[in-house]
Amino acid sequence: MGFFSPWFLAGIVAVGLPLWLHLLRQFQRTPRPFSSLMFFERRVQSSTRHLRLRYLVLLALRLALLALLALAFANPFVNQSANSVQRRALTVIALDRSFSMRFGQRMAEAKAQGRRVLNSLTGQTRVQVVAFDSHLDVLTQPQSKGAAAVQSAIDSLQPGDDVSSFGELSRGLRVIADTSNMHLDAHVITDAQKSSMPASFADLDVGPHISLAIEPIGSTAANWALEGVNIPSHVYDSANVRVTAVIAGWNTAQVTRKAVLELDGRTIVSKDVTITAGGRAQVEFDGLSIPHGPHRGHVSLEPHDELPQDDAFAFSIERSDPRCVLFLHAGGRANEAFYYKSALEASSTTGLTVQPLPLEQINGQDLNKFAFVVLNNPGTLDDGAANRIRDYITKGGAALIAVGPNTIREHVVPIAGNSVSAVAQRQGADSSGSGAPVLATPGQFANVEFLQTARLTARPGEPVLARFADGSPLLLEKRVGEGRILIFASTLDNSTNDFPLHASFLPFVAQTAAYLAATQSDPSSVVVGTPVELRKTNTQNTAADVIGPDGRHLLSLSDASRAMSYNVEREGFYDVQRAGRQRVLIAVHADRRESDLTQVPVDTLKIWRNTGDSSADPVPGTKQQIVPRSLWRYFLTLAFLAALVESVFGMRYLARERQTR
Amino acid sequence: MPALAPNRFVDPAVLAEISNLDLIARTVVDGFVAGLHRSPDFGFSQEFAEYRAYTPGDDLRHVDWNVFARTEKAYLKRFRGETNAQIIFLLDASASMNFASGPVSKFTYAKYLASALIYLAHLQRDATGFVSFHDEVDAFVPPSTRQGQLMRLLHAVDGAETGERTDFARPFVHLQNLRRRRGLTILISDFLAPVDKVVSAAEPLRFNGEEVILFHVLDREELRPGLNDPVLLLDMETNEALEVSPDYARTEYPAKIAQHLDELRTESQKAGLDYFLLRTDQPLDAGLREYLTVRQRRI
Repeated sequence: MGFFSPWFLAGIVAVGLPLWLHLLRQFQRTPRPFSSLMFFERRVQSSTRHLRLRYLVLLALRLALLALLALAFANPFVNQSANSVQRRALTVIALDRSFSMRFGQRMAEAKAQGRRVLNSLTGQTRVQVVAFDSHLDVLTQPQSKGAAAVQSAIDSLQPGDDVSSFGELSRGLRVIADTSNMHLDAHVITDAQKSSMPASFADLDVGPHISLAIEPIGSTAANWALEGVNIPSHVYDSANVRVTAVIAGWNTAQVTRKAVLELDGRTIVSKDVTITAGGRAQVEFDGLSIPHGPHRGHVSLEPHDELPQDDAFAFSIERSDPRCVLFLHAGGRANEAFYYKSALEASSTTGLTVQPLPLEQINGQDLNKFAFVVLNNPGTLDDGAANRIRDYITKGGAALIAVGPNTIREHVVPIAGNSVSAVAQRQGADSSGSGAPVLATPGQFANVEFLQTARLTARPGEPVLARFADGSPLLLEKRVGEGRILIFASTLDNSTNDFPLHASFLPFVAQTAAYLAATQSDPSSVVVGTPVELRKTNTQNTAADVIGPDGRHLLSLSDASRAMSYNVEREGFYDVQRAGRQRVLIAVHADRRESDLTQVPVDTLKIWRNTGDSSADPVPGTKQQIVPRSLWRYFLTLAFLAALVESVFGMRYLARERQTR
Repeated sequence: MPALAPNRFVDPAVLAEISNLDLIARTVVDGFVAGLHRSPDFGFSQEFAEYRAYTPGDDLRHVDWNVFARTEKAYLKRFRGETNAQIIFLLDASASMNFASGPVSKFTYAKYLASALIYLAHLQRDATGFVSFHDEVDAFVPPSTRQGQLMRLLHAVDGAETGERTDFARPFVHLQNLRRRRGLTILISDFLAPVDKVVSAAEPLRFNGEEVILFHVLDREELRPGLNDPVLLLDMETNEALEVSPDYARTEYPAKIAQHLDELRTESQKAGLDYFLLRTDQPLDAGLREYLTVRQRRI
């Protein structure tokens, strides 16, 4: 026996109070005057012992009450074997349905093993079937072994494309045991991949109420897989496309295979590649010509092995014309766009070109055709121009506002409305990065000198992405409606800083442009389980849509108008229509950790099994699990009862005291 | 407005709210007398008894001037009530008389009773005296019919205070030495003493032709103690403490006190003493009736 909070035992000192009241202030009955005792006899004196006894009972109750309260707060516990806790039994059949179960006949073997476990159970046993990969799904509620739902749940199970996680399985089993308050006899039927083990072995602990029986299917097998394909998701010049594929082998001998590149179902090119034993090989396809529009591509290995699904790697690629960025400058100062235009068009990945335009000529332009708008050193905008730009941003557009001397003179940033003032001192930027995705390259502003800077005022809810050395905002993000604005507290030419003369100006321009043009988020292929963004904010009411690999619409009506993202769960191509944006094609591939079919050593599986209740088949040398059982509830209940009885006794005692007085 | 019952004026609980003993006595007796006038059993008035020749020293106010006018001889008109009764009141002022379970203690009740009787005796022009005693005589007012005697007596009664123990022999010895002529002796006490001691102390007076009335004043609680729990009782005279069980108080004690009362009544009758038991929650008129009955017999 022990105490979780032994310091509360100090409260037992409080029992001294009733002891003092009862014992130190001795039993002193006030004598009651009577005219004469000549008719009384002394032999009746013994009757007061009864009263004294009741008095001592009251003392004992008060002592017990205080002691029990102190003990309850000290939270005592007794160690007891986890087996001694009697719970109803529930047999759980957990079937692995991860991507690796597609190998050979493993899924069929797993089902057969599940049926064998089911048949071995007695008629009264309650059974629950669950399936697991990266998470645990309950396929049936607890019911008798003969129920048709149990049998059909096993028979109808199909392998998925997700990665398996034994840590998630253990956590799920613990949740079932805790919520059902039953003792689980869990039969885990899995191919026992080593890659499914969690980083920490403690995550495998299933606790005292689960008896774990791990039934491995198959054995460690050789497998090759397309581990990855490197190809841009967007191209603007088809002549420059290069495709790089990595092929990996696990537990394999050296072989030569053919790598085939397909685009929209047509074989474009194939190459022989030699893969070393248990190693990797890289193959490159140059000069891929991509027509305009979105395309579905594959790189695959031939011939296939026993897990053909990982012998191909899907990717999506889209060719489109470069989009134009509108660079607005003060009239007669077209050279302000020189550095920005040069930097942006030097980056082939952004697919953006710059069109300089004097602010006075904006009224003739359709802003919706531009990827975003740049305002360099804007002064006062006329109402018509300001409203047009504001409307464009509110409806999902974007703008980069570079604050210069003209802006400082007006003391307010046009469109954004933030106040701004001049700072005469020359300073650099704060070297500590903000970690914002828009500034992915660290040390972006290192060694940049700002000659005349503006002190921007950030409003609550406006994230500051970079700061000057004095702490004032250098780059500020602001959301307006469905669009966004980046405010740069200096100009984009070299009139107030030397930033354009530094190499870091190029990635700054490319990254902010990609961020504002929303061309940065989609890779050519994502792994199963990745959430795909459907809308930027929950205020966007435009419907989204997701069409799965089988051509079915995967969103319900409510999800189409409200869901912020969608988790892709199967390999293949997803046609995603984001809210208020263009339709994109997303390729999804299985996690290649599933391609490594190396199994967990048997000893490791034994240790895992012994984290649960191993009383049925104890392993020699292992300790029986001891579970502390808290007793504070019992002590508190006893204290409550003692208080109740003490109240009754005390009231009766006091009533008699009053009567006798 | 409904008429108040005569007992209303002699209820001790009501009298306890009056602090003036003179007023208490008048209230009790006037109410009591008003009741008697409607009763055929008792004639209470200044009834004419005889004429007596005037001797020097007599009070001229009592001369019957009508007779003097007719006969030119001075005669005093004497009434029945003022024949030759000399009444001595003995008040037990022992500590046990202080016992009270209600608003009126035995001693207070005894004072009310003594005051009322003294006032009644004064109305009947009896020579009245007063002795309070405990283990010795505490206060003594010799019997007289002089002016101011009533107030002296009432002051003596009012100022009487309880002592410790009771010794019945001392006041009676004192009384025997004092008595010039026979009269009526009224002893008011709780008689918490052996019966033979009480009777043996009063008996000699009776032998001398005195009428003796024993007014036995007890509290209801003394007759039947209401104890729910064992309790420590303290003797008010001896300061002796004794723990008493409720069983004993319910069964054996009432039997013992009843035996004591029976014995006291029987032995008193044997000795020719009038015995009358009064409870402190009873009206005083019972005591007054007893007094009148005995006094009539005396006259």
